[in-house]
Amino acid sequence: MSTPEGAAVHPQPDAAPVPGGAPVPGAAPVRESEPFEPAGVDWTPVSPRLASARLVVALAWLGVPLVVLVVVAALTGSVWVWASAALVVALVVWVLWLVPRQVRAMGYAERADDLLLRRGILFRSMVVVPYGRMQYVDVTAGPLARKLGIASVQLHTASPGTDASIDGLPTAEAARLRDQLASRGEARLAGL
Amino acid sequence: MTEDRPLPAAGPLPAGAAPVPAGAGPVPAGAAPAAAAATPAGAAAPAGAAAATPAAAPEPEPPADDLAWRRMHPVTPAVKGWKVLAAVLAIIAWNAADDVRQLAEWLGGRAWLVIAGVVVLVALVGFGYSAIAWRMTRFAVTDEAVHLRSGVVFRQQRQARLDRLQAVDVVQPLLARIIGLSELRLEVAGGAGSAVSLAFLREAEAEQLRAELLARAAGLHPGRRPRPAGAPTAAPGAPAAPGGPPLATTTPGAVPATGHPATADPDAALTLPVEPDADGGWEGPAPVAPEHPVYEVPVGRLLASTLLSSATIWLVVMLGAVGALIAGTGQVGSAFALLPALLGVVSYTWTRFNRGANFRAAISPDGIRLRHGLTESRAQTVPPGRVQAVRVTQGLLWRKPDWWRVEVNVAGYGSSGDQTQTENVLLPVGTRDEAMLALWLVLPDLGTADPRALVEAGLTGRTADGGWAVAPRRSRWLDPIGWRRHGVTVTDRALVLRSGVLVRQLVVVPHERTQSLGLEQGPLQRRLGLASFQLHSTPGPVSPRVDHLDRRVAAGLLDEQATRARTARAGAGPEQWMRRA
Repeated sequence: MSTPEGAAVHPQPDAAPVPGGAPVPGAAPVRESEPFEPAGVDWTPVSPRLASARLVVALAWLGVPLVVLVVVAALTGSVWVWASAALVVALVVWVLWLVPRQVRAMGYAERADDLLLRRGILFRSMVVVPYGRMQYVDVTAGPLARKLGIASVQLHTASPGTDASIDGLPTAEAARLRDQLASRGEARLAGL
Repeated sequence: MTEDRPLPAAGPLPAGAAPVPAGAGPVPAGAAPAAAAATPAGAAAPAGAAAATPAAAPEPEPPADDLAWRRMHPVTPAVKGWKVLAAVLAIIAWNAADDVRQLAEWLGGRAWLVIAGVVVLVALVGFGYSAIAWRMTRFAVTDEAVHLRSGVVFRQQRQARLDRLQAVDVVQPLLARIIGLSELRLEVAGGAGSAVSLAFLREAEAEQLRAELLARAAGLHPGRRPRPAGAPTAAPGAPAAPGGPPLATTTPGAVPATGHPATADPDAALTLPVEPDADGGWEGPAPVAPEHPVYEVPVGRLLASTLLSSATIWLVVMLGAVGALIAGTGQVGSAFALLPALLGVVSYTWTRFNRGANFRAAISPDGIRLRHGLTESRAQTVPPGRVQAVRVTQGLLWRKPDWWRVEVNVAGYGSSGDQTQTENVLLPVGTRDEAMLALWLVLPDLGTADPRALVEAGLTGRTADGGWAVAPRRSRWLDPIGWRRHGVTVTDRALVLRSGVLVRQLVVVPHERTQSLGLEQGPLQRRLGLASFQLHSTPGPVSPRVDHLDRRVAAGLLDEQATRARTARAGAGPEQWMRRA
């Protein structure tokens, strides 16, 4: 899954002035060697319903202070309280803009021997988890996620550093992925 | 539960017989589920079992399986009871000191009598509980696993698979050491609190059991086919004689240019005293694997290195602050504010010295043997292939004497986040040659033609010479000091990462021990075309990562390393290391 908005907002690394002076060998960008676009990987996006779920939570958190601030501002008429309320509104707009983009940037890919996960627009990260290293798989879904028909799948290896959770999978896909991961893990099981 | 159920069956019976099944009914009905589910031994103490040992009321009956259940040493409660007493008294002293003082005033002259009485009572309860706990604790060893049953109120049955054994430690706290007892700890990779602790056993018994467990974990089976091939080696428990001719001396120059001791083939130099046959059987007590000392840490150097640490700098700073406070305010009392921090630094320094004292490392067919500790002594055995990652570090103050510290990640030891934790230390302080020896203990074959040059470049190098992928010059905007040292290289067997200009660091991870891999990129890194690569290892002091590589290099590394790790895993030997051949 590509993120055209991300590319538009953040300048191409190659186009950026390189302070070190060393020319970046990127005149003809080779997609294969891009860090977050490995060759021959088909990224599966997560469900857009995850954005709804996250927005509901975020707006619930921001909505209460907003209402309180508006009420207080209406009662007192203070400019500062109105300014605070405006700040919260700006925050709401930013969240409304950010969260769907964040969710669109999340993806995973099942390769023959490992699972790839990536996330992030500004701070990007990608994790490669070999199936044979998996110790167990968690599938969780809160009440809101259940209502929206999504669940999250988390892989655990023997390392606590492995941050491999896929949020916002449709329930059926989560179940399929869980079984798939379990069977692949068993087939390639190695010790520690 | 009334006679409702037996009634239909009792119906056809003569009237006189009816009460008998009815009366007996509740008893089997209640006992049956417990027996069927094979619940903790003796939890219900079924009637039949109670008849066998009518005397002991809290006596847990050995489970009705063919395991040879054994007990800890009978002195155990006496050693463990003190802990309960100390803990209870400490809690009272911390939380209820004021109440106790009020009570003492209220009681007047008899206060001391009462306090003594309470202490005796707590001691009785502590020792009594320990005694009961001892009665309830049993263990058994089979070919596949170690079974441990314990618990007085809440019963626990633990079964540790021997092929998942990560390390075996023999620990002797001061009191147990005086009496001649040892605790045997079996570390499995289950996170905190997953170790199987057999406390306490007689010293010789613990040593013998360790040898047996290691032999079984290695894939050998005792008593299957007798064929002793030689006399057993030195008495178990005898530490490696410090005066004996070491296999690899620690003098500089003894390490040849390859970076490894002359006898770089442990399999050739070290064989079991009892030659196991094709099936891996042997007769009699388990053979104690012979060991060859590799290095030891002189007390003088340990002391000097402890003083040359950051803790000492803090101590000096704090003493200066105390002095300034006293001089400035003219009151000694104000200095007491800094007392807790001061005590913390002193205790940290002492713990580090105490645990690192008498440090000796040896190599045996069972893996790496480490012995250390001044008051509490600990003898560790880490079987081959259990070390997940190695780190060699050098602080700023250690640069002059060229001292290095080597730590490892072992799945069983985990990480408590405690800086004084010493299970993970392979070498508390050593020369460069000793650090290389320590590295060799973990990875006898580094997978490169000139390991010494590789390690040298990793310890102090700053250039790309020798096949290092280094952080490009433009990364100095993100890390103005450290960027010169960020680098990574790959051998046939391991990934080698280096970093740190002030605190130098070298990390080695065998390919087959890779858990998962990660790539990260922040907005500034993105602008500069950089990315950080990290490798996830099991919990421990070592977290391998290299920052600010060229993004294409990092991406290529991620891809290749995933393939290399897979290939290495496929070719890795079995968990039972004696079955490798």
